[in-house]
Amino acid sequence: MADAPTGTDSSPDRQPLPPTLSPATEPREPRAPAGRRAKKHLSTAVALVAALVPTAVVIGVVVSLVSASDFHNLGWAFFGSKWNSNTQTYGVAIFVVGSFLTAIPALVLSMLIGLGIAIASTSYLPRWITRIIDPCVDFLAGIPSIIYGLWGYLLLAPIFGTLISPWVVNHLGFIPGFSAPSYVYVGGVGLPLSIVVLTLMSLPITTLLIRDALRSVPRDLVESGLALGATRWETVRRISMRHGSRGIWSAAFLGFGRAFGETVAVAMVLGAATAYPTTVFSQTDTMAAFMFDNLDGALATPGELQALAELAILLLAITLVVNVVGRRFVSALYTQEVAGL
Amino acid sequence: MVTATEGSYVPPPPGAELLRATSLSLRWRVSFDRAIGYLLPLLYLVALLPIAWIVYWVSVHALVTLNWSALTDTSPLDTHSLAVPIISTFYVMLLATVIAVVFGLFGGIATAEFLSERVAGWVRTSANLLAGTPSVVVGYFGYFAFVLYFGWGLNVISGSFTLAFFMLPYLFRTVDLAYTSVPRSIREAAYGQGSRPFQYLLRIATPIAFPQVLNGVFLAMAIGVGETAPLWLTLEQSALVPTGLFQPASFLTGQIFEDYTSGPGTPGIALAFEAAFILLVVVISLNIIVRIISARFRKRVEGLFQ
Repeated sequence: MADAPTGTDSSPDRQPLPPTLSPATEPREPRAPAGRRAKKHLSTAVALVAALVPTAVVIGVVVSLVSASDFHNLGWAFFGSKWNSNTQTYGVAIFVVGSFLTAIPALVLSMLIGLGIAIASTSYLPRWITRIIDPCVDFLAGIPSIIYGLWGYLLLAPIFGTLISPWVVNHLGFIPGFSAPSYVYVGGVGLPLSIVVLTLMSLPITTLLIRDALRSVPRDLVESGLALGATRWETVRRISMRHGSRGIWSAAFLGFGRAFGETVAVAMVLGAATAYPTTVFSQTDTMAAFMFDNLDGALATPGELQALAELAILLLAITLVVNVVGRRFVSALYTQEVAGL
Repeated sequence: MVTATEGSYVPPPPGAELLRATSLSLRWRVSFDRAIGYLLPLLYLVALLPIAWIVYWVSVHALVTLNWSALTDTSPLDTHSLAVPIISTFYVMLLATVIAVVFGLFGGIATAEFLSERVAGWVRTSANLLAGTPSVVVGYFGYFAFVLYFGWGLNVISGSFTLAFFMLPYLFRTVDLAYTSVPRSIREAAYGQGSRPFQYLLRIATPIAFPQVLNGVFLAMAIGVGETAPLWLTLEQSALVPTGLFQPASFLTGQIFEDYTSGPGTPGIALAFEAAFILLVVVISLNIIVRIISARFRKRVEGLFQ
């Protein structure tokens, strides 16, 4: 802005500024009074303290869990597969396996369905329809998880126990793991029901993030694909999905984080059995659901509370890593639509 | 291509001339594209049917037994009373919301307005991490920190603080977003007129950002009221309405979790359905409010650019 006083003249041989207008000779602004300077420093300090609350809470969570745990005494038995408060052996392998066995199939299903919905929404359906039904899909995230659990336990479990599981055993029983005596599946709760409930619960996240990713593809790219003779599907497959692949990956990671950490619904529909699943209908337990169910009884036995705290650290570590990686993939994740996820 | 002189030309439906093409692979590609166009929208049913099913199922089972006296009778001896958990939930939510608003509001404003990019990035990352923390872990944090370490016990104040820290990141992010999305031109105009940061904050930015801040409060409430684990682990169930901060209290989600295994036809299961119905009504209305405010806010901020 050095040439502002001389007008819009930008030719190379313009006159230099008259010395009276040069910044060096301008009278300096008097220094702010000490009171105002102190106020400014104070407000900056207050702002810093106020803003660091989320960071402090994260640190507080880690510190409180670590100080409540007892790595020294529990040792490597923590990764064993026996949890018995009578013998004071606390191994969490069953719950880790259970968490992955429920979260990964649920994630795969919800990614496939979410991808389909997102593609239909961005490329096939007219705008006035998606304007109405996309918020309805997002509303799946608003239903409290305990209502999913109630619905799964009281309504879906009988359907699974009396209709779906017997049919699967009769028709697909020749596949290893798909045959089971009826007492295993007749209650309805178990892996299949949990996977269905978790799929529904992670579906809004995956759908929303994939939709955002596909919608953020530049219009020029899509239209040049169509202009070159590609069908809509080929455009989606070769251009939109490739361009939005980072967003799709982030949907996978964040959806996995949601399914992996889900607590109450899984505690209601997985059966809470402390055993590895032997068939696809088996009941087992996840880390979050086990922690939720067993805090009450843990006070009575020595070491169990410490072991539960370690389990909480393990769960926290896995979900945090998944979340960090998932958010690495997208820079624009901090948007209005996603503020509630 | 159609030229300007052919005014009466009616274009064929997309892909019609391609379908008449002789190349088999071309016909296959176009047919596949059309089939996908009919099949993929069906996947919406996978998401939309369960919502309708859940809402319908809960309403049908709750409305059979729900009546006005069940909602208002606070006598503890009556097992079929929903008034106690409703009032207690209201108290706990009120306290938790106040705590979360205090921290979230100041934190969000400070992050949006006063911190350097670098520090703000760190704070935002930690808010995201907190939002990604499973609710049961937050409950354990509350249990170890408030119940055991501070020695408050399993009561309203422990539960409210735990729930507040669970709600905090959602509120924080919405507030932060509300203040950062105030248009840059408005900010520069204010500073250009010589306003000081606090004048800009209070007189310019807050009136613009206020609806979105309110939105964050409602969003955090909708998320908090439907959450079970943080309260279940830090708050003891009680048949009475709490009269102080250090007393146990019941809450809606806890009521459902306590009663969902009692068999069909029992008062317990009826109570669980009624609690679920009230919960759904509250959450749905909060979500609708959030959506309306959010749309209006977006229009408002976009309007400021013109």
